[in-house]
Amino acid sequence: MSASPPAPDTNPDTNPDTNPGTNPGTDPETAAGPAVPSSPWQLVRRELRRRASVTVSLVIIGLFLVMAAAAPLLSALGGRSPDAFDKSAVDPYLGGMPIGPLGGISAAHWLGVEPVTGRDLFARVVHGAQVSLLIALSATAIVVVAGTLTGIAAGYFGGRTDAVLSRLMDLTMSFPSLIFMIAMMSVAKDVNRILLMTAVIGLFGWPGIARVVRGQTLSLKHREYVDAARVGGSGPWRILTRDILPGVAGPVIAYTTLIIPGMIATEAALSYLGVGVRPPTSSWGQMIAASVAFYDTDPMYFVIPSACLFLTVLAFTLLGDALRDILDPRGGRA
Amino acid sequence: MNKRTSTAFAVSLATALALGAAGCSGTNSADGRGRNPALAHQGAAIGGTPKRGGTLTVLSNQDFDHLDPARNWVMNTMDFGTRLLYRTLVTYQAAPGTKGGRLVPDLATDLGTSSNGAKTWTFHLKKGVRYEDGTPVTAQDIKYNVERSFSPDLPGGSDYAARYLAGADGYKGPADGKHLDSIKTPDDRTLVFELRKPFAEFPNATVMPTFAPVPQKRDTGPRYDNRPFSSGPYKIASYERGTRLVLVRNPHWDPRTDAVRKAYPDRLVVVMGLKPNQIDDRMIADQGADASAVPWYALRPESAAKVLSNAEARRRLLAESMNCTDMVQMDTGRAPFDNVTVRQAVQYALDKDAILTASGGPAFNDPSTAYMPAALFGGRQPDTLKIPATGAPAKARRLLKEAGKPDGFATEITVSSGDKGRAEAIQESLAKVGIKVTINTVDPSAFYATIGDTKNRTPLVYTGWCPDYASGSTFLPFVFDGRYIKEKGNTGNHSLFRDRPTMRRMDEIAAMTDARRANEAWQRLDGEILAKAPAVPVLVRRWPLVVGGNIAGAYGQTSYGGQLDYATVGLKDPSKSQS
Amino acid sequence: MILYTLRRLAAVIGVLIAVAAVTFLIFYVLPSDPAAAACGKSCSAERLAAIRAHMGLDQPLWRQFWDFLSGIFTGRTLGSGHYALRCHVPCLGYSYENSEAVWDLLMNRLPVSASLALGAAVLWLALGLSAGVVAALRKDTLTDRVLMVGAVGAASLPVYFTSMMLIYGLIRVAGLLPYPAYVPFGDDPARWASNLLLPWLALALLYAAMYARQSRSSMIEAMAEPYIRTARAKGLPRRTVVVKHGLRTGMTPILTLFGMDLGGLLAGAVITESIFGLPGIGQLFYGALSSGDQPVILGVTLLAATFIVVANLAVDLLYAVVDPRVRL
Repeated sequence: MSASPPAPDTNPDTNPDTNPGTNPGTDPETAAGPAVPSSPWQLVRRELRRRASVTVSLVIIGLFLVMAAAAPLLSALGGRSPDAFDKSAVDPYLGGMPIGPLGGISAAHWLGVEPVTGRDLFARVVHGAQVSLLIALSATAIVVVAGTLTGIAAGYFGGRTDAVLSRLMDLTMSFPSLIFMIAMMSVAKDVNRILLMTAVIGLFGWPGIARVVRGQTLSLKHREYVDAARVGGSGPWRILTRDILPGVAGPVIAYTTLIIPGMIATEAALSYLGVGVRPPTSSWGQMIAASVAFYDTDPMYFVIPSACLFLTVLAFTLLGDALRDILDPRGGRA
Repeated sequence: MNKRTSTAFAVSLATALALGAAGCSGTNSADGRGRNPALAHQGAAIGGTPKRGGTLTVLSNQDFDHLDPARNWVMNTMDFGTRLLYRTLVTYQAAPGTKGGRLVPDLATDLGTSSNGAKTWTFHLKKGVRYEDGTPVTAQDIKYNVERSFSPDLPGGSDYAARYLAGADGYKGPADGKHLDSIKTPDDRTLVFELRKPFAEFPNATVMPTFAPVPQKRDTGPRYDNRPFSSGPYKIASYERGTRLVLVRNPHWDPRTDAVRKAYPDRLVVVMGLKPNQIDDRMIADQGADASAVPWYALRPESAAKVLSNAEARRRLLAESMNCTDMVQMDTGRAPFDNVTVRQAVQYALDKDAILTASGGPAFNDPSTAYMPAALFGGRQPDTLKIPATGAPAKARRLLKEAGKPDGFATEITVSSGDKGRAEAIQESLAKVGIKVTINTVDPSAFYATIGDTKNRTPLVYTGWCPDYASGSTFLPFVFDGRYIKEKGNTGNHSLFRDRPTMRRMDEIAAMTDARRANEAWQRLDGEILAKAPAVPVLVRRWPLVVGGNIAGAYGQTSYGGQLDYATVGLKDPSKSQS
Repeated sequence: MILYTLRRLAAVIGVLIAVAAVTFLIFYVLPSDPAAAACGKSCSAERLAAIRAHMGLDQPLWRQFWDFLSGIFTGRTLGSGHYALRCHVPCLGYSYENSEAVWDLLMNRLPVSASLALGAAVLWLALGLSAGVVAALRKDTLTDRVLMVGAVGAASLPVYFTSMMLIYGLIRVAGLLPYPAYVPFGDDPARWASNLLLPWLALALLYAAMYARQSRSSMIEAMAEPYIRTARAKGLPRRTVVVKHGLRTGMTPILTLFGMDLGGLLAGAVITESIFGLPGIGQLFYGALSSGDQPVILGVTLLAATFIVVANLAVDLLYAVVDPRVRL
């Protein structure tokens, strides 16, 4: 809702279904894509391999994921813990500026040190990746699961269920989400910050995907093969899992990839505003917030977490674009 | 820090014997590299004598807490309010260095006369002092404002009136028509205060904005905060909360009645809500209209490097000592800090050097080895424990083992949000000996309410205390006397330290008649308490300000924690300021 | 159409009440006590109780909520005795921090946030749409590639980074612009614009990138619609087809987006305001939050929600005008 790449519900990138699903007057059919190809996954893989941007983004994403997963290992390799001060690396008489060029990059500190404390930037970036990606990915998981379930329920059962769920989606989307997230983060004090942040971000993200899935379900519901299954005596559970779920999987996957950047950005925004993780935990948003004051005196300190954030968001966006083109061609026929 | 300076350090009953430069002069600077570059203007004014006219701009990141004189009890806001908008019975002399602590009459003709063994105090008002509408200031108006300070609708102000006036128990302000009998106004220009106990330093209390005049017919209750009625050299032209305050001359202020305020600029504009680091950058760059600007708040520690490495900016730098000791106070009433050995372990584990760096480095802070600031030791704090400034973790671990906690323990600390960097340094040095600290940051506005709640507060708090004047009696009893502990709204004694021998000794010293002997006794007691380790003294801050190049008459007022003295600041060349 | 509008308006009010209720609930469990904060340094239990009563905090939750809601429409009197405050319609209460009416505070700050949002919106629409349309019309050419790669890149840049680079480049090094500080439009339009230019740029860059991507794909989609193909086949000039038909169809999804984005931004771009130190609604909210100033927090969330739902409503009504396919 603000200057951060907006929360997922308003982010065009994250919403392949930009047809006016919000508008009760429009035909839901326009919001839905055609059926996916018969042997979709091989096709997808072939298509993906064709694109250079996909390879690059997959490498970047892979790199950061490995970095996040192996954070303790990597920082052990660097020989520094993310919380340990190193007073020999900063000059107290200069307000704690790192000693040496490029923010104190040296054999001891591969990416330099944090001014004032002398904490190792490499260790902090790596641990920050862990926190940032953990929050973004778990929040995405919450959003996708909740959104898909509500979307299918609303689309398939229709009637009152649909009416109630659709109102709920409208209501959730009417909340000024960033403002509420900040409020909730600052109110809750004695809870696990990472867990709370995941939950809070997830809370406001689900209606977007629910709408996509609802539209898709509506269009699939009356396809011949679904009707055939119904006539053949399949129960709703079987139809949902066998026929509908695979049908919505394509757009959901594309959508998922595209909302991840929004999630990462939201985590960064909350940490930037000082309602995110608690010290001494690092996250990319926290690091950027702390480094802004040093952007001219110690540019490396500012550039490093910013670059990490940029690369990750870029990689997920490129990958998502490609996936959308392939899996949900109508949403992004471009 | 913000209000923390503010509220805790607000109690500024400094007497003639001001602390200021006396204690923490350049020779005592911590750096050991010789002269501290930040102290070039110690005890002196920058820019010579100002010329009359022009607009002085104040760049601020925040709004004032309360400009209502009944509610204004924050050091730098008291400076602003009493120097510009309202006059008090007595005030501080407008002068750099130690002279800034001298009391001079303001609305009153003298510093007050006492009778009845210092239980009755009489003040006479000067003639010809007028409000912004031309009506005269009367004794009844001062009485009315003192009464207002009792109103539950107008919280936040100093409680000296409540503490000392006779018959004040249960009084709830003048809103429902009740008045205090212990303040008498025999005529329009005479005030008589009846106190419940002798108080020889009562004139020191009358510098508080509580003793400024508010005419009853102008009182708008809580909303008076947004438009105080002026008796000083300026009046409010417009005040948009959190955005902008514009002051213009009060044409009815008569400089012949006022020996303190110079009122050089024609206008003052306070621009609020700016980004703190952008204020620092603008003040250092000193371009265009910013040359006629001053910062409201002290330089951020992050900006220290930019100023210290810039000779031109250093020429415009003030860094008066705040004369308040920052301490880590431990809840001595609860485990594990009820064990003196555990507390000593903390004393040895703390890396004051790292906290100092987080605070802007040795140029803007002096490390503290005793509770009372240097001024109360005649200029230099003793170092009785001889703990290295970087801490002694090995000894701390030994002490923890001795206390039966070889693996340390987990605890929590509450700090004001501006102290987060300092808290991280505390966290890290305690982690080295196995004490795992969780940091609770609290907004400055809620900080004192949070740590004053003795039942629900965290075991550790980081806060400071300022002596009211150069006597141990205004420091040690406030911080370490267990009889002053309150369940809610507790102040000073955040260690909840209830040590019988200490309290007995305090009573003995208070009864001493020889001031010199008493002073030495306080100094000895400081060391005795330090050995029992209810709190760890950490550092004494300075109040660094970089003023614009067109600013003149600027110095840090020692009685207001080093804040710029708004009585005398002005412009070198008024034509260069933006109108 | 009228019936539809009325029904939607009713829904808007329902949503706003729900938002207010949720905000109330969140802050009812707030651990910090606004009365204690107001009471200050040496606070006796007696004084605290009096302050709580004055703030109305001694009432049950539903009562506080009801007083708040009815106050919006009827006004209310806060406190009692000599210092009672009459809060006029629309009464959102008084700030605990500075005793100003919340409505006045909001209206003081709104011009800042509105200037920021509207100025940035003009910029991003101009930049984003033109880039998107050009890229769509030159699909798969080098121009298209360059524009789209640029857009993905710009959309991925953290706004903190862009902002600081703009500050460094345009203020510190080039000295072209002043440090942003809000100057009311009425005081000096030129200084208003020059002070806001940087925040506009920072905000617009991000949104322009997203709008370029979006408008490109909707344009391509629109140009493939059968009736547009028919129009072109009929031999209408390309320009007419693009402007009259393509844009009209292609812009409908952009409209939805724009409504939501603008609605959200009007009530305060928290981060941009924080980076540039602009005293807008976002800053007001952030300050109120840290000091537990509940009436202000409630006021801002309500205002923000109002902007969002009203923007959505406006967008839906506009569809009927813009998109020939939509009938309400």
